Amino acid sequence: MNRIKQKSSLIPSVERGKAILIEVDGQTITAYEGESLAAALLAAGISTFRISRKTLEPRGLYCGMGICYECLVMVDGVHAQRACITPVTAGMKVETCKEIEL
Amino acid sequence: MIESFQLAVIGAGPGGLKAANSAAELGVRTILIDSYPQPGGQYFMQPAGSFSATQLTKTEAEGQNLIQELKVKAVTTLVNTLVWGIFKEGSDTQWLVGLYGKEKPYYIRADHLILASGAYDSPVAFPGWTLPGVITCGAALILLKSQRMAPGTRVLVSGTGPLLLSVGAHLISAGVEDVTICEANHFLPKGLKYATTMLGQRKRLAEGIRYYWQILRTKTPYKIGWSVQAAIGSNKVEQAIISRLSPEGNPIEGSQIDLDVDLVVSGYSLTPNTGLVRMLGCEMKYQAEKGGWIPVRKETLETSREGVFCIGDGAAIGGAENAQLEGQIAAWQIAHRCGKISAITLHKKVTGIKPYLRKQQQFGRLYANLFTPPATISSLARDDTLLCRCEEVTLVDVKKAVAMGARTMGEVKMLTRTGMGNCQGRMCECSVSAAIVTALAAEKMRSDQVGYYSIRPPLHPLPSGFLAKAQIDDV
Repeated sequence: MNRIKQKSSLIPSVERGKAILIEVDGQTITAYEGESLAAALLAAGISTFRISRKTLEPRGLYCGMGICYECLVMVDGVHAQRACITPVTAGMKVETCKEIEL
Repeated sequence: MIESFQLAVIGAGPGGLKAANSAAELGVRTILIDSYPQPGGQYFMQPAGSFSATQLTKTEAEGQNLIQELKVKAVTTLVNTLVWGIFKEGSDTQWLVGLYGKEKPYYIRADHLILASGAYDSPVAFPGWTLPGVITCGAALILLKSQRMAPGTRVLVSGTGPLLLSVGAHLISAGVEDVTICEANHFLPKGLKYATTMLGQRKRLAEGIRYYWQILRTKTPYKIGWSVQAAIGSNKVEQAIISRLSPEGNPIEGSQIDLDVDLVVSGYSLTPNTGLVRMLGCEMKYQAEKGGWIPVRKETLETSREGVFCIGDGAAIGGAENAQLEGQIAAWQIAHRCGKISAITLHKKVTGIKPYLRKQQQFGRLYANLFTPPATISSLARDDTLLCRCEEVTLVDVKKAVAMGARTMGEVKMLTRTGMGNCQGRMCECSVSAAIVTALAAEKMRSDQVGYYSIRPPLHPLPSGFLAKAQIDDV
């Protein structure tokens, strides 16, 4: 997935927010203020956000609007955060595929 | 002290924005609540916060005007705030609305409610639909329009309705060169009889032409009467199988084509987001062409519960313009009940917009007749396809439950755990319902007899410590 650079009448150009660094599974990736965590992860080539509990299958973004709960990741030690509606913040620590046992 | 309002509008999409502004303009003390970081909903989606746009699209600008109006009309606006429960007990005269946001308030009270919770893409279960890289039209449009990201490079867009054209055109505009669109409904030639209805819909027509031009210009395949059959890949989507459909919606043997893709966008029309109306116990009815289970409403747009109004796509799929008209009608009714306008003024106002509403309803009929997903679309699921993504319940699990005697959504839920996970059934309801109807076809079982999942507070999962913290006497 790529950040759109070209401008068009349907998608006029925007200036992204400030470039920031976030940590995902120990790796540092660049994101821009205003982006959702899901968008930042996808732009970094990460599409598997969690592993399903029973069948252990990869899951990622689906509804994109906070209702399907498929994009859950751990953010700053808090589990089950929806990446699609969580905005990125500088220094955020994200862990994918790490749901805690309930 | 819990702050009190004459009206709480829940959902700040086109309908909610218009309703809040219209009520506040007449002096109704109004609060508008939305769970997203910015008002606008899906239709009036704004570029992400912290992005600076030098130029807005027409739709973004239209939404921005309504958002600015909130301040002028003194509407109290809470964003990033989820309504998790609405209560009225014993002798309460007001609704108690439970809120979950980053900070207080935890509760507000309101005399009247306008529920404007919008809709989401009807989730269709097909083999591989749980793979990363299969997303909905809504997700694709949020990434494209708000996040300014191109979510794939080789993309299949499959589903039904004008939203497919919007997704396709936005992908093309974002520089995606390999796009295939499959429209499941054979809407030609029967669509031609609606030509005059369409000519009366200048705004929609212009939007449609703009999108279609992108598709024509780039020779993007727009395959009418086709649908995705399966998505394939190990850790993410690598291939999609598409097939031509018979007029009844069944895949035609031998027409399958394999496509190399890294994204499948699924959009089989929309399902009204009815969690809150169900939680409030409002009477519901089943209307497939309006998106499934919808609240029963009077002409005033009030539900079966006094003081609870429901508008826009959250009440019946009708589009953004329809939602705004309905928002005005509900707001005026409430303004009248609050003593802000006389019965005569109310009547004049409502009569004044009736012609516009009728036009929208005409379009609603066109949309319903041409773009209701074919009932056969549920047969894309195989026995081992997950219907419930949260609790990982397959089609065969549901069939077994029916064989054991389950006949309703509630009974299947008890036996299999469908609908008991995080999404609270939003993602599986239509597939499970269809599976029961199909399994009991010999008895001519219908969707309206199968029923719907009941919804109880909290509407969405909450951190366990929150409810302990948000005690009423602590507010």
